[in-house]
Amino acid sequence: MLGMSLRTFRDRWPVFAGAVVTVCLGVALVQSSLLNLVSAATARIPPGLPAAEALALRSGYEAGISLLGISLGLSTFVAIFIVGTTFAFTVAQRRRDLALLRLTGASRGQVRRLLVGEALLLGTVGCLLGILLGLPTMRVQAGMLVHFGFVPTGFGPQWRSWIIAVSAGTGIGIAVLGVLVASRRASRVRPLEALRESDRIARVMTASRWILGMLFLAGGIAMVILIAALGGEAALALSVFVSMMLVVAFTALAPLVVRLASWPLGILARGPLGGLAHANLRHGVRRSASTAAPVMLLVAFVAGTAGTLDTLGKATRQEVTRTLRADLIVTTDRPVRGQLAAVDGVATVSEEVPVTFEVGSDDGEGHLEYGVVDGLAVDPVAYASTHDVGPGNLTALRGDSVAVSPSYAPELRLRVGDPLPVRLDGRTRDLRIAVLLPDTLAGPYFLLPPDLMPDSGPRRYAVRLFEGVDVSSVAARLARVGEVVTVDEWIDRNADDQQHTNLDVMTVLLGMAMLYAVIAMVNAVVIAASDRRREYATARVTGLTRGQVVASALGEASAVVATGLLLGGLAAAGTVLGIAVAVEKMVGIAVVSPQWSLLAALTAGAFVVVGVTNVLTTLATTRTPAIRLIGTWE
Amino acid sequence: MGPSGSGKSTMLHCAAGLERVTSGEVRIAGQDITRASDTELTRLRRTDVGFVFQSFNLIESLSAEQNVAMPLRLAGRRPGRRQVREVLASVGLADRARHRPRELSGGQQQRVAIARAMVTRPSVLFADEPTGALDSRSARSVLGMLRSMVDASGQTIVMVTHDPAVAASADRVLFLHDGRLVDRLDRPTIRQVAERLARWEE
Repeated sequence: MLGMSLRTFRDRWPVFAGAVVTVCLGVALVQSSLLNLVSAATARIPPGLPAAEALALRSGYEAGISLLGISLGLSTFVAIFIVGTTFAFTVAQRRRDLALLRLTGASRGQVRRLLVGEALLLGTVGCLLGILLGLPTMRVQAGMLVHFGFVPTGFGPQWRSWIIAVSAGTGIGIAVLGVLVASRRASRVRPLEALRESDRIARVMTASRWILGMLFLAGGIAMVILIAALGGEAALALSVFVSMMLVVAFTALAPLVVRLASWPLGILARGPLGGLAHANLRHGVRRSASTAAPVMLLVAFVAGTAGTLDTLGKATRQEVTRTLRADLIVTTDRPVRGQLAAVDGVATVSEEVPVTFEVGSDDGEGHLEYGVVDGLAVDPVAYASTHDVGPGNLTALRGDSVAVSPSYAPELRLRVGDPLPVRLDGRTRDLRIAVLLPDTLAGPYFLLPPDLMPDSGPRRYAVRLFEGVDVSSVAARLARVGEVVTVDEWIDRNADDQQHTNLDVMTVLLGMAMLYAVIAMVNAVVIAASDRRREYATARVTGLTRGQVVASALGEASAVVATGLLLGGLAAAGTVLGIAVAVEKMVGIAVVSPQWSLLAALTAGAFVVVGVTNVLTTLATTRTPAIRLIGTWE
Repeated sequence: MGPSGSGKSTMLHCAAGLERVTSGEVRIAGQDITRASDTELTRLRRTDVGFVFQSFNLIESLSAEQNVAMPLRLAGRRPGRRQVREVLASVGLADRARHRPRELSGGQQQRVAIARAMVTRPSVLFADEPTGALDSRSARSVLGMLRSMVDASGQTIVMVTHDPAVAASADRVLFLHDGRLVDRLDRPTIRQVAERLARWEE
């Protein structure tokens, strides 16, 4: 059967080339993310580095690792999704071929073996290319991580030879799995279908599609409820899963939605061309659903992630505005508490020094695993009078103690009086939890007592003035000691920084995966056009000009894109809603941030990409004079 | 034979095990296939029945030779080149073995399809309007070839047509009307067939 596979391979090359491209890009993407993650996780801190610098380096790598972890998960999901849907689509496209084989005596097993043979072949070719492409991809990704400061400068990803086995395994594995699922159905094709093309549109919504769709939809909804119930940091990570589950659910249910979406087109589209586009859309539900899938993926993740980050950003800003009860913020590179307090009009000065240290938690085997965290060393009384610290009495923060917000790790169920193992200034010790702070998005999660405050180094001061004092004149006097901004300016500045970081996070996290989705979009359009030569030829001998065929195909493609956008938007909305509910539960701030301008840009982009590809492929497919295609049956 | 819509093709599909019947029973070469499983039907397609249709249904990516060899290869046999060439020669296409379907005329494609159906030496060859898409010369040569297969090697052929000239080449003609067998003629002339047909059309 392999010989047969090879020959069909040669003959249907646009379909198979598309499949190879998806495997190649998928393998490159996953391999690159994995190698960068492993390199970051095993990065050596050079010995002999001062403790503070070594800690900063470790902290930088840990932040990078968590970002790369999400990136790897996302890449893997996108690769499985795109390769799986593409392969299933190529199988569906060849239904008539397969029925013909069955007519000449092929058993179900033989049809399956043929398809799996093809998948092996395509997977292998795609993997080899992917492993090679993975090398430059890895460098680009590492370059982006360093450029945006998510990993310390000097980070260099390393090649590992075992990655070849992993990449080959995943690439070929995903290709074969994708086909196995599709081939089960394809092998049940009845020989008679070779003679009746109309059977092909029958029952696109199979039982397995219903079950899969409903299962994942329920899973997605359950996840939203779970996020709302859990709150905390865990909830934020879970929101990515909501997107994934909804994407899978909507893909399975897409044929239904395509039918729904064809409705407005039927009303909008006038004349014979619109009618044809409408009829084709309903006729080729399977094809339409496959083209809509990558559009949906793109919108779901881009709009979902942007919406999530922006919702968190807005909520953080509101939380700071609500809890900060100071008038001015002074930043300096040395302790100046006394000088500030002596200035006329100043009521309270809260000295706040950032401290990076490590917190130990049980790794499940009785050993302590240390993670780098950021805290603030403060004077409890001054801090409590310039910040809303909730019902806890901060004056208990004395000596070897710490104040913790449960948002740091809700699953630990920290209580007042519990010991918290830390490593501070290279010394391991237990701090007693003196106060529990309220849940927070903005942080800090840890407040340290003045006993642990470093005597030198950069710090900031929240300054509260007496009632009725002229803020600007006090600010001018304070400016001699350090850099002074009003609280509003300070909050604005932080929000701007946050927005920049968000954009960087989006680029690093989604950039490559979404480029992949765009290529998959083009791919799907090309594959879909590959079996429409006869259909277009028939339309032309019926009396349509070439231009009219192109126009009708474009109308159909637009409706498909609209379906993808709609579903992707729904998945994104589900994700953002989940986050908004979680945030509301955590800090009592209700914000939702729908990304209208981003959605508009995505809409325009998807229409342009699919539209242009569609026009080009339709032109290419209609190049052969129609009558030559109609004349022969094959 | 019968007018269009009389159920000719459906009857053929049922007889060949492509379609399941809701009542009655279907036997091929002494074998009851009314409730045969898919595996049994697949085996049947490999050994006992061959198909030829109005559309040639050749696999586009394969040469004439490869198309003909396909049923044997699917059955797990390794057909020798000579065996395949012989069958192609018997349909007069010895010199076209390496051509793809697209490079052959309609009549030649249909002859490849017949060769493919015959390569397994089936008990029955089912043919659905095999000359329907051919010009009269090609049609005559295909028809003559089918006739000689019956005369020379005793091949059973069940053929569906609505063309009296084609029907007259058969040993026995059965008439269908609205899904029912209504008449039969043995060794008829074209005129007899046409008259019978006209009667049922009234």
